[in-house]
Amino acid sequence: MPLIFSPSPHIHTSRTTSGAMYHVIVALIPAILCSLYYFGLPALEVLLLSVLSCAGVEWVVTRFMLRRPSTLRDGSAILTGVLLALNLPSGLPWWMVIIGAVVAVGIAKMAFGGLGCNVFNPALVGRVFLLISFPVAMTAWPLPDPGFGDADGVTGATILGQLKMGLVSPDELPLMSMFAGNVGGSMGEVSAAALLLGFVYLLAFRVIKWYIPVAVAAGVIVVDLAAGFPPLVDLLSGGLILGAVFMATDYVTSPMTRRGMLLYGFMIGVITVVIRRWGIYPEGMSFAILIMNGFTPLINRYMRPERFSPRRKEAVKA
Amino acid sequence: MKKTFKKGGIHPAANKIADAGIRVLPLPSRVVLPLAQHIGAPARPVVAKGDTVSRGQLVAEGGSFVSAGIHTPVSGTVASIGELVMASGVPGQAIVINTTHESLELDEKERGEYWTRMETQQADRTLSDRFTAEELRSRISAAGIVGLGGATFPAHVKLSLRPDVKAEVLVINGCECEPYLMCDDALMRAYPGQIAEGIELMLKAAGIPRAVIGIEDNKPEAIAALRAALEDTPFNITVEVLRTKYPQGGEKQLVEAITGRRIPSGALPVSVGAVVQNVATAFAVYQAVAFDMPLIERVITLTGDIPESERANYRVAVGTPMSELPLTVPDDAKVILGGPMMGRPALCLEAPVVKGTSGLTVLADSRRRPVQPCVRCGACVDACPMGLEPYLLARYGELRMWAEAAASDVADCLECGACSYSCPSSRPLLDFIRLGRLRARDFAK
Repeated sequence: MPLIFSPSPHIHTSRTTSGAMYHVIVALIPAILCSLYYFGLPALEVLLLSVLSCAGVEWVVTRFMLRRPSTLRDGSAILTGVLLALNLPSGLPWWMVIIGAVVAVGIAKMAFGGLGCNVFNPALVGRVFLLISFPVAMTAWPLPDPGFGDADGVTGATILGQLKMGLVSPDELPLMSMFAGNVGGSMGEVSAAALLLGFVYLLAFRVIKWYIPVAVAAGVIVVDLAAGFPPLVDLLSGGLILGAVFMATDYVTSPMTRRGMLLYGFMIGVITVVIRRWGIYPEGMSFAILIMNGFTPLINRYMRPERFSPRRKEAVKA
Repeated sequence: MKKTFKKGGIHPAANKIADAGIRVLPLPSRVVLPLAQHIGAPARPVVAKGDTVSRGQLVAEGGSFVSAGIHTPVSGTVASIGELVMASGVPGQAIVINTTHESLELDEKERGEYWTRMETQQADRTLSDRFTAEELRSRISAAGIVGLGGATFPAHVKLSLRPDVKAEVLVINGCECEPYLMCDDALMRAYPGQIAEGIELMLKAAGIPRAVIGIEDNKPEAIAALRAALEDTPFNITVEVLRTKYPQGGEKQLVEAITGRRIPSGALPVSVGAVVQNVATAFAVYQAVAFDMPLIERVITLTGDIPESERANYRVAVGTPMSELPLTVPDDAKVILGGPMMGRPALCLEAPVVKGTSGLTVLADSRRRPVQPCVRCGACVDACPMGLEPYLLARYGELRMWAEAAASDVADCLECGACSYSCPSSRPLLDFIRLGRLRARDFAK
């Protein structure tokens, strides 16, 4: 009767890392459906291409460069593909999407050692690379054309772009449309309602905690109030909710403790608004998250959990 | 709001699937009594090979103050004193006693009479008045009683407080937060009066003014039974219903839940005025004082992936070889000494049940899952009841960075396993933290 021998504990949670990845993908379904509804077939093309090329890049790297078993089944490459797509304008040329995928998975993730080793959020690195390389294509935001139709190719500036150029004043913005998503922008940033639905899903399945998204909102509100700008405009526009809920909460690149997460989220909110108001870019969410990704190791080092045991002042013995 | 400890903790499936009653297992024809069944110095044999011994006789005495004597549960002849393989696969010194058919029959008769007498004994609230504190402590010591919750620290040592140390509360651990195990629950249901009297005796023995029994809220029968048994106690003993959360029964967690005080790093509970004992220990103390009965039997749970008819609590003689237990182990299974969170795996089932055996949990499918990379999700940090960073300590262990592990308080780890349990990447965090704990002692501040 052979016995199995391994140290305690002998039981294990049913949660898995890949399970968390798939939960996040499920949580993104409302936002995906929304973007398909508003932007039609071009959005679907970008989404499929992005997912396939992210998965393809990971497969090629593990198979031919690292010569390791494929890691595709952990779901992280697929999630990166979905997130990258949601950060792009629909109708982006196909080869730009592929370049974004190569940078995101090949450079930002696999070159650092694969899942768990990357310092920066891969999808955001891909997006920012494209934004800097192809600024025109990356800011040609198709205007929404509700009804899953073929987009008519009309593009325009996002609300944040119009604000930056002084075309509109923050007080005359269609907040309800912004909440529903009927405004121009990248595929995933259009509907606040769909993204918040995903947030509720992630909280309900305890995939993420509320700390980071709420702290991001707090950071935005504090700077906006200090600068006399209506916070709701910042909260509902651009990729703020997408970033706060789905990108800033990436396990690998965010801090481990509650205090660390609160500080990290708050600073993302602050930096985002600072870039939007006083920087040269209309949108600052991606940069803010990447900057704070860089601070995450430092935050983990200095914002450690409070120990249960008070330190012993002198030996106490019975 | 029910009390609990503040930091971390997990909620594994309780799986308290065994029959809550206590079945009696016959005395074995041969007992194996290891000399090191407790924390502290091993016991010293006081018998020699070939000696005739009788049931309840001392066969090995405590080797020092922090030690415990060992008594034989059967009459017979000392067959050997020497090295044998213990359950964990490590060799250890043990006394082997062989019985005869006739002596076993007599022992069984005596045993049956004793338990009937003890079970039908009326509660005697004046029992503690008949002894001085010192007499009580020496009786507890003479009975070889150790902490039966699993730590097996000699009971009389914790009850012998230095004159300059003041303890305010005796915390009685009835949490049984380990999944599967039910032996403490069964004892509390079956012998609440005896446990209550045992607690009274311990209060007197240690000179502590009050006692609190901590029980998780998933044991309503035990809570009701103990409350009823405590109705007419002249002592200040209360039952505190705690939230069900692992590791509620960890000494530091339990003391915090009940008194609100945190035991400092590396210190004993008495540093915050608490002494902790297990309910099964209280039961053993009662038997030792009221009936002069040494610790020769205990209740264990047999549970897990074994036939349902076998899943129950059993009263067995200490020293019974585990191969004589009604335990059908499937092939390729893991037999755990204790519960699935902190229990040690068994390698040798010829080895005996010892004082610290709270049960055997058999898990049919307990192979580890493939390890995935750490994604720094923080689940281990959230789960750690000691406020440590298991991911970091495990990495230090992996990289043999002992000094760094020591500086990150690896010594605080109580090895509860909440980190490994909660890791979604199935990383063997506790394996590496244990390694760090062992090696970091050289770097103790």
